[in-house]
Amino acid sequence: MTADVTSALIARLTAMADDELLLGHRDSEWTGHGPLLEEDIALANLAQDEIGHAVLWYGARSQLDGADPDALAFARPAEDFLSCAFVEQPRGDWAFTLLRQFLFDTYEAEVLARLERSPHAPLAEAAAKARREELFHLRHTGMWVRRLGLGTEESRRRSLDALQVLWPLYHGLVAALPGDGVLVEAGVLPDWETLRGATFDRARTALVAAELDPGRDPDPTAAERDVVREQRRELLATLQEVARQDPEAAAW
Amino acid sequence: MRWEVFKQDTPTKPHQAVGSVHGADAEHALLNARHVFGRRPAAVSMWVVRADRIYTRTAEELASEAQRTPIAAGQERTYHVFRKSSHRRSMTFVDHLVEVRASGPDAALQVALAGAGDEPGLAWWVVDAEDVHATEPEAQASWFEPAKDKTYKQQSQYGTVAPKRHEGAVG
Amino acid sequence: MTDGPGTQQATEAELLERFEARIAAGEKIEPGDWMPDEYRRQLIRMISQHAHSEVVGMLPEGAWITRAPSLRRKLVLIAKVQDEAGHGQYLYHAAETLGASRDDLVDALLSGKAKYSSVFNYPTLTWADVGMIGWLVDGAAIRNQLMLAQCSYGPYSRAMVRICSEETFHHKQGKEMVITYAQGTPAQRRMAQDALDRWWWPSVQMLGPHDSDSPNTPLLVRWGIKTKTNDEVRQEFVDEHVPELQEAGLRIPDPDMRFDEKTGHWVHGPIDWDEFWRVVKGDGPCNAERLAARNRAHADGAWVREALEAYAARHEGAAERRAVEA
Repeated sequence: MTADVTSALIARLTAMADDELLLGHRDSEWTGHGPLLEEDIALANLAQDEIGHAVLWYGARSQLDGADPDALAFARPAEDFLSCAFVEQPRGDWAFTLLRQFLFDTYEAEVLARLERSPHAPLAEAAAKARREELFHLRHTGMWVRRLGLGTEESRRRSLDALQVLWPLYHGLVAALPGDGVLVEAGVLPDWETLRGATFDRARTALVAAELDPGRDPDPTAAERDVVREQRRELLATLQEVARQDPEAAAW
Repeated sequence: MRWEVFKQDTPTKPHQAVGSVHGADAEHALLNARHVFGRRPAAVSMWVVRADRIYTRTAEELASEAQRTPIAAGQERTYHVFRKSSHRRSMTFVDHLVEVRASGPDAALQVALAGAGDEPGLAWWVVDAEDVHATEPEAQASWFEPAKDKTYKQQSQYGTVAPKRHEGAVG
Repeated sequence: MTDGPGTQQATEAELLERFEARIAAGEKIEPGDWMPDEYRRQLIRMISQHAHSEVVGMLPEGAWITRAPSLRRKLVLIAKVQDEAGHGQYLYHAAETLGASRDDLVDALLSGKAKYSSVFNYPTLTWADVGMIGWLVDGAAIRNQLMLAQCSYGPYSRAMVRICSEETFHHKQGKEMVITYAQGTPAQRRMAQDALDRWWWPSVQMLGPHDSDSPNTPLLVRWGIKTKTNDEVRQEFVDEHVPELQEAGLRIPDPDMRFDEKTGHWVHGPIDWDEFWRVVKGDGPCNAERLAARNRAHADGAWVREALEAYAARHEGAAERRAVEA
């Protein structure tokens, strides 16, 4: 692997890990506050799965540069995170949380199916592991999309409000990183334009079937993962609060 | 609405009643069942059945019923019969025993009782096969297998946790 | 049982005698079996209080999920608080088999009518509290739950067996955390000791009043709902935890704590029951906050539950129409 490819792959893995961690963190904010005991349990499962995937991606990066996953999550400044705005948004209401999770699962189902075939073994293995869970997630969040869209006037209104925020930001989740071109050329990553198209088509089809037309597709823009937004700063201040309390601590 | 949940731990074990979940409809209930009872291993299949559709009898009830309702002739349907057979400490209730064709749940129970012989059972549940909402066989890999990797919530992974002897208390 | 047709005319006294004989023989009472009204009433009271405690018990530790200081601790804590929801879920199920409805029970909790464990009305001030709750509060709870796993009512006993197997994970992860901090940096050690200072007495109290002040105990023991008294369970908890906490280098905040060579038991000092009753009756440091959080979650979730019902009604209606057409 050339130095260019390695550093591009490190950025790609970090971005994927950061997205999973921040999304899992947002989901976990519901633990203890869900609308139904069973749903409290369900969302806590999804949160654990996403954070578990972050562990997988940080681990795959670790194999390249030896970085410690906990240090990446708990000691890295907000400026160095590569998360997208889509996962950084506050948890919002139940419609926002479940629609975001559904859109994320849809993207992951598409991207992981392709990464599973990557010639870079650590990437392919992590993708295969994460994909199993994503298929179940889609069953769960797909079930919710239909109930939110076809439930009551209020659930539909809240869902459309959520999509107004989420749909334009969805592109930032799916868009290629500056270094992805190198990885596509090296055959490590799939063609990103095809992936983008497949993801948007799949998400739109499910939303429209639930009478939740998201409107026209957002214009492809840069991923903007290197911008530090207020939501990221706020989230990381909380996430890293205890870990930063005692710099001397050898173990938490 | 309440749905009873039946979990099968391995392909060679019977479905067992593990508890119930609330769910607005069958699809919701089945997913809730997976979330609640599948968050730790092991499972290969789950069924949910509306709690109010289950025909139940305990041994005491069977004994106190003056006489059995005569079996009405009628179209035969498929029933799943479940039985609890011991007072031993357990986290599950009735186990799937047999699938029978009968004209009604009581008839199905009588068939099962006749076949049970020496083990009359302590409690019985009879479920119309059409009331069973089951996970698909191909769901196993995505619904149940990944729980095995979540070792951080399995107490067996912690072994014996004990402090190293410490010199003196915190001053 | 070989009773013939005459059974239906059995008197209440005969039924009670047979019921108590079954319990004495170690049999489980199952839904559908005859049981005294008072047995049903006591079980619904105990099980629902227990369920509420699990659900409210999500809050003190849940507040730290977003701040857990490592990836593993974060996963562990989400799983743990999720288990509390699960335990509440199993217990409401057990109450439902006695004819209670979860909605009614939850309403009683939200309106402040129902009781739940006093221990969850204390605040979690530092991250070490999460570990201390696992070690002490869950350690005390397990003692109680191991006993209840033997209880005479089948559904309660089964819920407890399931809960105990999960609760052991809670206890071990808490113990692992506290031991790490008690043997860590000076700041971590101070944090661990401070957590013990605040959680020791609430944990000792949570196993309930002395048997002389616990009017229900004799009946509950006779009917096999409880198989030990509060003081017996408390003694087991103290005997298990005092030496381990000391070995970890922590100081128990009870100047009277001593080991009695003759009995082989640890003897604790007097318990402040005034405080216990104050907190149980609603005047603890966090009662209002806990109930407000539960009420908020319930109110915010109302539209979600309505959407589920509306979808199900429409869907079921469609399925029935299809069946009629076929």
